[in-house]
Amino acid sequence: MSIPPIDAELALAEVRSRRAQVVDANLVPGWFWPAVGGLMLMFVAAVESGRPAVVAAGSVGYALGLAGLILAVLRRARVQVRSQLIGARGGLAIAAFTLVLVAVGVGLGLALAAAGVPWPATIGCVPVAAGLAFGGPVLMSYLRRVMLSRPLAGRR
Amino acid sequence: MSARFDDLIHAPTRLSIVSLLAATEWADFKYLRDTVGLSDSALSKQLTTLEEAGYVEIRKAFVGKRPRTSVRLSPAGQAAFAAHVAALQEIVARSGLTVVPD
Repeated sequence: MSIPPIDAELALAEVRSRRAQVVDANLVPGWFWPAVGGLMLMFVAAVESGRPAVVAAGSVGYALGLAGLILAVLRRARVQVRSQLIGARGGLAIAAFTLVLVAVGVGLGLALAAAGVPWPATIGCVPVAAGLAFGGPVLMSYLRRVMLSRPLAGRR
Repeated sequence: MSARFDDLIHAPTRLSIVSLLAATEWADFKYLRDTVGLSDSALSKQLTTLEEAGYVEIRKAFVGKRPRTSVRLSPAGQAAFAAHVAALQEIVARSGLTVVPD
């Protein structure tokens, strides 16, 4: 069967549009990143305070807060994007984002501790929290571009 | 992969469903229903047609006490979809109409 070219183009546009819907439904929402950054900062500060009651409250708050955030994201996602769409480029971007934040946080924390600065871990965590808050949405935007740029079918 | 126009997939509603499934590992029945804008029975009918063709797999499970139906494109469905998209691209390419590259 043959169809007019315009119908074929419209069908391809439908395929692209539906893929974009799936991709958008899977991206971690913008509020997630500053929320995780804030929780992390609060947890590290609580632990570094050294006061048992503050450590306990901070740990419980962190665990509950993180669980709540993850549940909220999971409840929102009713579909799981095909992993081939993320591919090696997307995977490397996620790994690089994580490694850079860990390296910055640990490196700065250790350097501040060596220099005798008070609250080194908490201060070291500030750029990590900021990186999550500002970098998370940028990472999502990059992953969206990667996923939408894949061929519509066949080899991915 | 050879291009092959697939009448079963090309029907507008099924093209929408299969396009969504092609981008997913699995999709919740309610997600498909809400996204495509169909009633439960209309979506069930389309999924049954696709399942009979061997293009989708339907799984029913319970999450807590709630039944949950998930759908995914089978390997045969993926191959048919890929061949159909290639056929569409060929039609567009032959006409020189290409608007968005892929």
